Amino acid sequence: MEKHENNISVSVNGKVRRVQPGSKLSSVLNIDFPCGGHGKCGKCKVKAEGMLSELCDAEKKHLTEPEIESGIRLACKTFILGDCHVQTLEKSSTDSKILADGTMSDFTLNPAFSSYGAAIDIGTTTIAASLYNTSGTILAQSSMLNPQSVFGADVVSRIEAALKGENNALAQSIAKALDETICDLAKKTSIKPDEIDSVAVTGNTVMLYLLTNTSTEPLSHAPFITQELFGKEFTAQSIGLTAINADTKVYLPNCISAFVGADTVCALIATGMCEKSETRLLADIGTNGEIALWHDGELTVASTAAGPAFEGVGISMGMRGETGAIDSVALKNGEFSAHVLGDCEPCGICGSGLIDAIACMLDTGVLDETGYLEDESVAISGPVYITDRDVRMVQLAKGAIHAGINTVIKSNGITYSDISCLHIAGGFGSYLNMESAARIGLIPKELTKKVNVAGNAALSGACMLLLNRDLRKTAKQIASHAKVLELSSNPLFTDEYMEQMMF
Amino acid sequence: MSITAEISEKLQQGRAKAVKELVQQALDEGMSAAEILNEGLMHGMNIIGEKFKNNEVYVPEVLVAARAMNMGTEILKPYLASMGVTASGKVCIGTVQGDLHDIGKNLVKMMMEGKGLEVIDLGTDVSPEKFVQTAIDENCQIICCSALLTTTMGVMEDVVKAAEAAGIRDKVKIMIGGAPVTDEFCKQIGADCYTSDAASAADAAAAFCQA
Ligand code: B12
Repeated sequence: MEKHENNISVSVNGKVRRVQPGSKLSSVLNIDFPCGGHGKCGKCKVKAEGMLSELCDAEKKHLTEPEIESGIRLACKTFILGDCHVQTLEKSSTDSKILADGTMSDFTLNPAFSSYGAAIDIGTTTIAASLYNTSGTILAQSSMLNPQSVFGADVVSRIEAALKGENNALAQSIAKALDETICDLAKKTSIKPDEIDSVAVTGNTVMLYLLTNTSTEPLSHAPFITQELFGKEFTAQSIGLTAINADTKVYLPNCISAFVGADTVCALIATGMCEKSETRLLADIGTNGEIALWHDGELTVASTAAGPAFEGVGISMGMRGETGAIDSVALKNGEFSAHVLGDCEPCGICGSGLIDAIACMLDTGVLDETGYLEDESVAISGPVYITDRDVRMVQLAKGAIHAGINTVIKSNGITYSDISCLHIAGGFGSYLNMESAARIGLIPKELTKKVNVAGNAALSGACMLLLNRDLRKTAKQIASHAKVLELSSNPLFTDEYMEQMMF
Repeated sequence: MSITAEISEKLQQGRAKAVKELVQQALDEGMSAAEILNEGLMHGMNIIGEKFKNNEVYVPEVLVAARAMNMGTEILKPYLASMGVTASGKVCIGTVQGDLHDIGKNLVKMMMEGKGLEVIDLGTDVSPEKFVQTAIDENCQIICCSALLTTTMGVMEDVVKAAEAAGIRDKVKIMIGGAPVTDEFCKQIGADCYTSDAASAADAAAAFCQA
């Protein structure tokens, strides 16, 4: 009998690796699988030749004739049957815009460190960090893409991977990224990494579970029970960090629920909104869409799961805000005029461009308020177009955010006019044209003038918790007193959602 | 315009009150409940279904049309019952255990009702045992499972297994759907049918019930 053990050679971008027959192409590649390898998003295209499985239905759906002819495959759906060559497609992910700046409310210094302290925000897509000295001066910033993206774009795909036995790999990959980030901060400041004697790491609940290798099984299905909500210190060693001393304290702020995490608590700290007597709203417009309302001394939070449409996932020509992405669109004499990142030919459209484009399409009338598009697609600029399906995806996503906001407001018995400020947190919100956002109904138009762009408020909140350890009590209080508004099986949300899906 | 055509049109526009009045008027004029249902209400719902499939209308329009349809059928129910008109098939539907997303499931239910099927709605967070027990107790020809989370999709396989264990697998068709579901997954777990939208789901279910 022949032994089928790692006897196939696969060349990946020229480097030869040996694998078992029947392995998926995805197993030898280090690229992103936004849908978690389900053949749903068509974003893991690679060029592959040799002994491979036949084209499956998912590939036929996502690949064009010319692509098929030139040997393009979906890495998540192609099995390696014998020797083959694989080439990843040109994609520069190093030039992504990652936001590290954010608002900070006033606070006094009482650092949780004695020489240098680092604060890190682990976003599902991006990681951002800042380094401080004891006088509260920012010394360096660092950012990178979250390497866990290879396991899927959204938190549930990551949980799925963890449940399939990748939990250690997920924990190691994020620990390695944190080590790199810390080293980068140190290098930029010309200090040694182990001079950093305290770290604060924030992120959504799932990110913190994966970092601490806490079982995500309870987070994988309703009722989404959280056995751990953090608000405590770990040692660097216990979470696998090696760049700093083993016993250096790493503080993880409190989370509120499975889908409203420490990042939201930090954003609340950064805006200082829970310290004020006026009514304020916070919205993190992203895949999870966290909404928080401070009213009458009480905090209500909700998570509206808009999905990754604004990150370009599930949109025909969607992409992140990288070189070649259309990031804004305006109407000039009735024609679309697009701005492209990196001032080159456009090759796709990112979230902010998508929202502008839809707003322009509504203005020209090619798109009506129900989302009906007369033609199958509308050309925006160069090869970039938006299809009728893309419009529907945007309706699902923007409707969820707006409906989430309305549900939180209405269940507190207040109206838009009671709100003095809408803080918009998160990277996406910072690049957004608020007029367009209101035009398409992503945010209520009544609140456009009250918008305060808070930037990466999760990171700035984490910095504050590093620079004033007393605020950690405040964070704990905010988290434990927050009222979680359940939107599933909430008739008010369903009604609002149907209404807000319209333009 | 005939009154049934008018019912169909008002239903497509989601004008529930107008549909209700027209149905009553048609009954008063002596039209049979079956004709009002088939030529008016179901006709309108079918058109909405086609338009939905072609991306011409979306979720909100389907929901208001379905609401109008329900208003109409409420009035017709006693007449249909007295005439002995029965549904062309019986289906139970639900969102699987651990999942509370129900918008897609509700659309499938409405479209199936629009095809004249009787649909038992088990709601959300439905265990495999409950799907199977309902199919047995209510004599359903089809079990429909919806899942929106990649982590709850797996429960659909448990439904197939539970139906096998209960010895009803050859008597019941199992249809599955929801955004993360694929045809490949359907084959892999041994379910009978996957469709990507609610209108096609209703077509497939109607076809199963006729067979
Ligand atoms: C609306 C929504 C919600 C609402 C749900 C309201 C409700 N009553 O259903 C709220 C805000 C409550 C919610 C909550 C959550 N959500 Co949610 N949600 C969405 C959203 C935006 C749209 C889903 C939807 O309704 N689509 C419209 C319907 C019509 O489409 P559909 O369900 O696919 O149904 C169609 C077909 O699939 C088919 N079909 C459906 N069922 C069936 C059945 C059969 C038998 C057949 C044949 C066909 C069929 O017919 C339908 C019509 O054509 C998606 C993201 C997106 N943009 O898609 C996320 C999404 C599904 N949610 C997600 C998540 C993670 C959650 C949460 C777990 C976390 C959170 N952030 O809050 C919670 C938990 C919910 C729970 N307890 O189960 C993720 C899932 C990710 C994954 N990998 O699985 C998504 C994809 C967003 C994301 N990428 O993060 N969500």
